[in-house]
Amino acid sequence: MAALSSQFGDLVEIKKQLTVIIALCRERGLMHSVKWASELAFALDPLPLNELPPPPPFTEEDAQDLDAYSLAKSFFDLKEYDRAAYFLRGCRSQKAYFLYMYSRYLSGEKKKDDETVDSLGPLEKGQVKNESLRELRVELSKKHKARELDGFGLYLYGVVLRKLDLLKEAIDVFVEATHCLPLHWGAWLELCNLVENKEMLKSMSFPDTWMKDFFLAHIYTEMQMIEEALQKYQSLINVGFSKSTYIISQIAVAYHNIRDIDKALSMFNELREQDPYRIENMDTFSNLLYVRTMKPELSYLAHNLCDIDKYRVETCCVIGNYYSLRSQHEKAALYFQRALKLNPRCLGAWTLMGHEYMEMKNTSAAIQAYRHAIEVNKRDYRAWYGLGQTYEILKMPFYCLYYYRRAHQLRPNDSRMLVALGECYEKLNQLVEATKCYWRAYSVGDVERMALVKLAKLHEQLNESDQAAQCYVIYIKEIFECGELMEQVELSTAFRYLGQYYFKNKQYDDASICAQRCCNYNDAREEGKSLLRQISQVRGQGETSSSDLSLPFIFGPLSAKNTPVRRMSPLNLSSVTP
Amino acid sequence: MASVHESLYFNPMMTNGVVHANVFGVKDWVTPYKITVLMLLDEMTISTSITLLDRRRLNKLILPLLQSPDMTLSELIKTVEDSCPQLAYTVYLRLQLMADGELKDMEHFFDMLPSPFNETESEAHKTSVVGLFMRHMVLAYNKLSFSQVYKLYTALQQYYQSYERKDSPAAEPAEDTDMELTNTEELGGKMEKEELDLTPSDDEVSTRGPLSQKQAEYFLAQQAYLLKNDENKALDPASLQKELNNMLKFNPDFAEAHYLSYLNSMRVQDIFNSTDSLLHYFDRLILPGGDSKSNGDEGCGRSLRYAALNLAALHCRFGHYQQAELALQEAIRIAQESNDHVCLQHCLSWLYLLEQMKGSDSTLTEHAVKMAVHFCLPYLASLGIQSLVQQGAVGGKTANKLMDALKDTDLLHWKHSLSELIDISIAQKTAIWRMYGKSTMALQQAQMLLSMNSLEPVNLGVQQNNSEAFDVALCHLSELHAEQGLFAAASEILKHLRERFPPHSQHAKLWMLCDQKIQFDRAMNDGKYHMADSLVVGIAALSKTEGLYRKALVLKARNQTTEAYKVLQRLLLYCEKIKGTEMTIRVMLSLAELHWSSSCHAVALPLLLRSLAVSREYHLQYLASECILHLAFSQLMLGIPEQALNILHMAIEPILAHGALLDKGRAMLLVAKCQIVTASSEPSKQQKTQALEVAVQNLEEAGTYFTKVDCKERVRDIYYLQARLYHSLGKTAERNKCAMLFRQLNQELPSQGVPLITRL
Repeated sequence: MAALSSQFGDLVEIKKQLTVIIALCRERGLMHSVKWASELAFALDPLPLNELPPPPPFTEEDAQDLDAYSLAKSFFDLKEYDRAAYFLRGCRSQKAYFLYMYSRYLSGEKKKDDETVDSLGPLEKGQVKNESLRELRVELSKKHKARELDGFGLYLYGVVLRKLDLLKEAIDVFVEATHCLPLHWGAWLELCNLVENKEMLKSMSFPDTWMKDFFLAHIYTEMQMIEEALQKYQSLINVGFSKSTYIISQIAVAYHNIRDIDKALSMFNELREQDPYRIENMDTFSNLLYVRTMKPELSYLAHNLCDIDKYRVETCCVIGNYYSLRSQHEKAALYFQRALKLNPRCLGAWTLMGHEYMEMKNTSAAIQAYRHAIEVNKRDYRAWYGLGQTYEILKMPFYCLYYYRRAHQLRPNDSRMLVALGECYEKLNQLVEATKCYWRAYSVGDVERMALVKLAKLHEQLNESDQAAQCYVIYIKEIFECGELMEQVELSTAFRYLGQYYFKNKQYDDASICAQRCCNYNDAREEGKSLLRQISQVRGQGETSSSDLSLPFIFGPLSAKNTPVRRMSPLNLSSVTP
Repeated sequence: MASVHESLYFNPMMTNGVVHANVFGVKDWVTPYKITVLMLLDEMTISTSITLLDRRRLNKLILPLLQSPDMTLSELIKTVEDSCPQLAYTVYLRLQLMADGELKDMEHFFDMLPSPFNETESEAHKTSVVGLFMRHMVLAYNKLSFSQVYKLYTALQQYYQSYERKDSPAAEPAEDTDMELTNTEELGGKMEKEELDLTPSDDEVSTRGPLSQKQAEYFLAQQAYLLKNDENKALDPASLQKELNNMLKFNPDFAEAHYLSYLNSMRVQDIFNSTDSLLHYFDRLILPGGDSKSNGDEGCGRSLRYAALNLAALHCRFGHYQQAELALQEAIRIAQESNDHVCLQHCLSWLYLLEQMKGSDSTLTEHAVKMAVHFCLPYLASLGIQSLVQQGAVGGKTANKLMDALKDTDLLHWKHSLSELIDISIAQKTAIWRMYGKSTMALQQAQMLLSMNSLEPVNLGVQQNNSEAFDVALCHLSELHAEQGLFAAASEILKHLRERFPPHSQHAKLWMLCDQKIQFDRAMNDGKYHMADSLVVGIAALSKTEGLYRKALVLKARNQTTEAYKVLQRLLLYCEKIKGTEMTIRVMLSLAELHWSSSCHAVALPLLLRSLAVSREYHLQYLASECILHLAFSQLMLGIPEQALNILHMAIEPILAHGALLDKGRAMLLVAKCQIVTASSEPSKQQKTQALEVAVQNLEEAGTYFTKVDCKERVRDIYYLQARLYHSLGKTAERNKCAMLFRQLNQELPSQGVPLITRL
């Protein structure tokens, strides 16, 4: 933290750097980096006139290329890449050279996309590639060897390498690019996509600048290391970036990833306030609203986005979610399809479409949609989970085990997969496995709060009454701690079981407390009453005969010694008022 | 920049988000290679100067050309040159004209093409293979858009130019290294041309272009066939997987490729990949089930059932029986819900297989057979009968019933041409005869299987011969040869087995076990116990009971009686539990031998009688003879040689007729021993001499048997006995000779632990 604040000590300096990099990126047509840097710069206080950084030095070469550059830049901005490249071909300056190479690259990409539409045969589509990549690589590698590439050139070289699937080389070049020009966000972002795991990240060396913190926070979010990411972002906010919409959106996404819905929602609301016309990340926001079934909010969001731009992937996803929440699944599927039309690489839409088909009971279409999602990204746990659910609906518990397992592998600490696995094992009558799953689900923090009840019931089936009672006790405690009293059915079963259990174990006081609780619930009232009667009967008889035995129980109701709770602090039921 | 990192995940097959059920909707399309083939066909119809022989060769060439994946021009021309050099040159010239000319030439070619085929007297009928191909091509060409036609033409030019470059002697050697950074000095224009020519590094299939649906299907069918019938001829697992991945990269929806990938992963015992591929295959398959899949009943549910069934099979193959059972239950439940009796029947067959693995009785199988007959599933029915026969054979059903059942199934097989089952049936007969101890019959059956022509059409020059049945028959054959002392022949057969079933393949364990057993027996005969001991580990890895048994044998031979006894007792309990009759009898015999070595012959008797009873009960004739041999020996040792000789007569005949050389030798030795002992009680001297001479002859015979199987210790014993007999017969010269031979051998061999008298 100390190191961080020292690095960030001079916000004015950072602001200056940002201003410079914005100009540089804009000159080279790297619009996304410009956007990112500008967003960040906007979050900082404006500089007074005398503090404004001078424009980058203008060399002799720049002056020579100026006309060609301005012409080409205008073509470039109008997406006439070949034309831009043609006029730039003889230029010497770094700026013009980068634009020259970059427009050649983009022209190749554009042609590739066009050609997939009319290639000779369906299979040849797979063969379509950016023809200019190899040429670019040869030329850039020559320059790279001669050490003539600046930070932007290195970045482009890295992109070309990555497109040619030379990932290792690409990573090296991107790292070099970050050292050479640490302020260029694009190079960092590419690294985020290429770095696969923590070990890989640790083995790399990055320039020691404030950009590194942004990078680390971003990549932690990508790698689902949410705790670390949130910490990083919080410290960035403390340092003075509290107004940055980028950081807010990232934090919101991070909260979304760990299912902290309330916090994520509040972050998104803040984001919407600051940047009402923002479309990015709004699909995530809509997911949250969907989970919370906040219909009016979702409807408002959908209409708002539709006003802003209806032909955006995010908009389509939001509308899809909206229809889905209104149970108009056909329409929802239609909108997800539209999202995919706009961007076939949109992973979330495939999965969501799968969910819609599931709702429509069109299992085969759902399976296909999920499979597509997995093809786009093998690590999409929701698609694996969805496949598992599909097969579960088709009543193939053994078959779906495999899919749940895959999902569980990807999210080892997500209780939903574990509960699903447990349910499957339960259906397959493999109760021991099932108990393991449920217990693990509880230990990693159960979202739906069902694992314990299921675990308790399993123990009941396995005739392990001690464990069952223990689970019920923990369950009741958790429910009352939360203060939510929704799941009355399960509560009543818990009390009912506990009552019987204590009765059998001759802990009559505890039993009678439980029986009284039972009376609060409609479905268990009769049993509660009969249990109370039994208790009073037994007490009437036992007062004389077994008073010695029951003595400690009478004096210490529900103390830690005689409740079966082993790992829990003593449970004082009487203090709990429903 | 948006496109920069998003297209990392770009999959071109999903353009526009449209879900292609089968991207192969277009069956075929025009490629430069196909244009060249078209030219070849055209030339063949036009040209009149081709000799009849050449024409025949060319005609034979057409089908492979149409089916194979696209070749480069040099490959193609070379292939055609082999048949008809002159035609190859004309085709080359035509292509050159077209490639060096302009787009118009290609258009003209396609315009002119149909004309010879419209005429009625044309050589290619419009429904023939060639005719269909031409019509496909013309149709596909006509469908092309403007830019596509242009692209095709440039592709054609590149196709031609790549050949030219290769052909010209000045072609730079480092041509196919254009991926390397070394040739950076090359100019951009040249680079572009080079990167497109698909450098065909001789056999590397994956560098070839994408396959059309027909080519892909043909490729898959071919590989699947080879995998089934002669794995060695199929691509090796790694390159096949590479090829499949390539295919799937271009078209992830091509479900069949996933299935082949599943089979391929099974070859290398990769459970993770095979499960993944299998499930992926069924995920893909479920989709087209919705619309018109061949049979009317809801295709989706159908593939679900079979998906679960296949999963069960997979787990079964990997030996996860519990998992397999769970999957099977699932399959059965779904099949029951949808009233699919055929699927249920398949499930039932797997179920009884699983039950058999657990060693339960055969009622389930019987039921399965009945049901299969009812639903007219001959394959399943006779498979069931075969496993019933197997159970029956082990369970001691009478031979005539078993053979009858096999005969009935054979009728069924021939009727339905189930060649696979015929093979199994013959192999089973071999095994049964062998179990009964009729080696001649077993030999005959094995030879019959091997020399029989398969019913299946010989495809791709491959006869179906890597099934388990062949493996079993060959293993029996090698063991039978080894028994007769023909070790060279046995090892020859094993060598063949090693080639045909490479060690990683599914059935390799059978011959591995067989090989080690033969080696073990030889080592034991030779008295090289340390070698035998080292083999025990290998045997135990392949078969636990066999390993334990062999271990006991080594211990016994080394006189470590207590350890041997412990092992044998444990084994006996185990065998009785799993009902391994043959092994039980063997173990009891070994136990009896252990008793002998501690001179408790009387104790051995009940054991031997019990084993005799068991082997008679199960019709194991050869083992029964073995028991009698042991009994006779015990009687001899107990001092009732007359009785021993009496019962020996029962055993000697089957042993001499069917037995292994070693057993023959042992039997003759025992006979001789008995004769010697009885001779001493003969009243007259002449009779005594006569008896002794007969004994000498028998010893001689035993000696020849023992020499054949390199059993030096026993040969030494024989010499000793012979020398003693000659001595008492007064034949000094012979005695001295035998004594000398004995001395030679005795010096060679280490001193013996078990005295010769106390062993059979």
